[in-house]
Amino acid sequence: MPPRRIGDDFDADSDSDVSILDDLEDVGRARGKGKGKAIDRRRKDKGKGKAKEQPYAWEASYTRSWDTVQEDEAGSLQGAVQDLIARGRRRRLLAPATAIRRTIIRHLILVLDLSSAMMDRDMRPTRFDLMLQYAREFIVEWFDQNPLGQIGIVGMRSGLGERIGEMTGNPQEVLKAISERHKLEPNGEPSLQNAIEMARSTMSHLPTHSSREITVIFGSLTTCDPGNIHDTLESCLKDRIRISVVALAAEMKICRDLCDKTGGQFGVALNEGHFKDLLFELIPPPAARALARTGSGAPANPAADLMMMGFPTRLPDTSPPALCVCHSQLKSEGFLCPRCRAKVCDVPTDCDICGLMIVSSPHLARSYHHLFPVKAYQAVMALVDTPSPAPGCHGCAQLFEKMASTMTNTTEGMSPLGRYRCPDCHNDFCTDCDVFVHDVVHCCPGCGK
Amino acid sequence: MDKASHLSVVIDLSPTQWHLCSQSSNPYPLTLQSFLSQLLAFFNSHIACKDENTLAVFGAFPGKSVLLYSSTTIAAEEHSVNADANTYRPFKVLDSTIMGSIRNQLEALELLEAEAPIGLVGAITKSLCYINRLTIPSSSTTPAEEKQAPLDPRILIFSVSPDQSPSYIPIMNSIFSAQKLKVTIDVCKIYGPDSVFLQQAAHLTGGSYLHLNRPDAVLQYLTMSFLPPPGIRQLLSVPTQDKIDFRAACFCHKKIVDIGFVCSVCLSIFCNPVPVCSTCR
Repeated sequence: MPPRRIGDDFDADSDSDVSILDDLEDVGRARGKGKGKAIDRRRKDKGKGKAKEQPYAWEASYTRSWDTVQEDEAGSLQGAVQDLIARGRRRRLLAPATAIRRTIIRHLILVLDLSSAMMDRDMRPTRFDLMLQYAREFIVEWFDQNPLGQIGIVGMRSGLGERIGEMTGNPQEVLKAISERHKLEPNGEPSLQNAIEMARSTMSHLPTHSSREITVIFGSLTTCDPGNIHDTLESCLKDRIRISVVALAAEMKICRDLCDKTGGQFGVALNEGHFKDLLFELIPPPAARALARTGSGAPANPAADLMMMGFPTRLPDTSPPALCVCHSQLKSEGFLCPRCRAKVCDVPTDCDICGLMIVSSPHLARSYHHLFPVKAYQAVMALVDTPSPAPGCHGCAQLFEKMASTMTNTTEGMSPLGRYRCPDCHNDFCTDCDVFVHDVVHCCPGCGK
Repeated sequence: MDKASHLSVVIDLSPTQWHLCSQSSNPYPLTLQSFLSQLLAFFNSHIACKDENTLAVFGAFPGKSVLLYSSTTIAAEEHSVNADANTYRPFKVLDSTIMGSIRNQLEALELLEAEAPIGLVGAITKSLCYINRLTIPSSSTTPAEEKQAPLDPRILIFSVSPDQSPSYIPIMNSIFSAQKLKVTIDVCKIYGPDSVFLQQAAHLTGGSYLHLNRPDAVLQYLTMSFLPPPGIRQLLSVPTQDKIDFRAACFCHKKIVDIGFVCSVCLSIFCNPVPVCSTCR
């Protein structure tokens, strides 16, 4: 295990406060890291006294919630906390609402760091246990949002890449692959190159219309590679593989490079909650912008080809049993191919008789909300221009406050009246419904669209 | 029934379809009046089952959707109801509120509006918003009125209109959010052809879809299959669907198709092969 901490007399100039955009500084930084390996999670150890100090580069975009909280006149924090929660929820809505082209059929290799650095206890209970727990939640949520996607799992242990789970579209199989903790016991050094090469070879045969992604959860500050990792990076670029890294310790130049050049996301987890946030940011299908960026020879947006698909009829388990075409077994339940009326056991699949791709339409429909997002509601600032304002929320019929709240500051798109208006149907909604409609339902109750 | 349960009801109140349904040429005609009186009996038995049971009724009218009654916001209107020595007061309040608001809404309908597509999606999404507010103790309610969230929330949809294909995506989105909220959607199809979308809704959320053979006996169906909450229904044998159609509506002509052409990037469905996907271009 490398020396973790040099101490608090650490020179602030060399590592911590540089802008990552500055190339010269960057080089110096990488060199410093190679020698010292010292920039660990010093923030955690340095105590409250140093809180004013300028943060690390990777912390720059992370607001410390405790710095922004202010007590109200009565000395209570409740208003401030509620305000903060509401603001955090609304920030998500400020993302552009235009239709972006997204890749829906995704292929992801999840690379787990199983090196001895994962036994560190800076995240409770250990980095390793936390990673397994979040990885499970990630997989469940990922399949929920990308029902036609596939996930494979590769581990980094003892300097080798290790295939833990084959690429599959069945969430249960993926979860089973990482269910046995004792088989994944961390050991030795990680090798980023070996793991990425293994992931790359797994995905080399995939059709062009699907996305190829690698998500690395990386706890170590070193990588023990057999060759030049920049060659690996080049070949990933050529294969249009998008690499995202969630680092648990500190920023590494090579990780940042892998992500930036391939169009992925890079983040350093500051605490348990932030770790989860970073990981879950990778769940929504990425906009197909990486294609344009790599653009070596290939056109920026290749014309999408259409696939013929059939939507089957499901037979109940009370129907008369018949032989299925996939296993030749006598079964009651099953799905009927719409073209040749053959009976298959499970969808999605290709019909064994006529070769038609059979999918259940709910599988497809799960991703439609990415294509047709609900327009962001506008905060209503005053009711002067509304002749007869509705007394209650259009969604849940909760009555609105009559008086504008005084505590809320109106700069961040928060409505002092708690009203948010749909730009299309001009109905008012409360904060809860606003968030619920945009995050969960993806359909405005007023317009019905 | 040891746990309190919440029931949201969505009633399809299309004047045209109800008129067709009440025609005497049907084998078993059912008029809106007789349906509503049977429905009120069902509502009364729901709130009578347990004191904490809650109820919200949404009406889907042509072109709009309205909250007709909810047991949480009723306190203000309670005084306007005349006391009646022979009726249990909550029943009286419930019955007169629902009948009154349905009458108001139907009278307010213009002749032209009556042909507008039914606001079923709006009613379903509103009931989801309502359930969302009940299940998540929100920041806007005061702690005093924060009580035990009703378990087993469910939505019961009474449908008389045929499917409208433009509402395919919104209905599918509502189904997925119902799955997330663990809401069961039950469908009672009173008149008209089977609804593909509502069949999928019931199937995906674990509810039951019932196409009534004898619409005039709707109360019997209601008490036997929809009165017990989903938790208890596992112990009873509730009628199941025989076939579920997993067809979808295409994006270009909103036709319901069983074999479609799907864009490999955004998964939009088309009924004819098109050179360029119109959704993601």
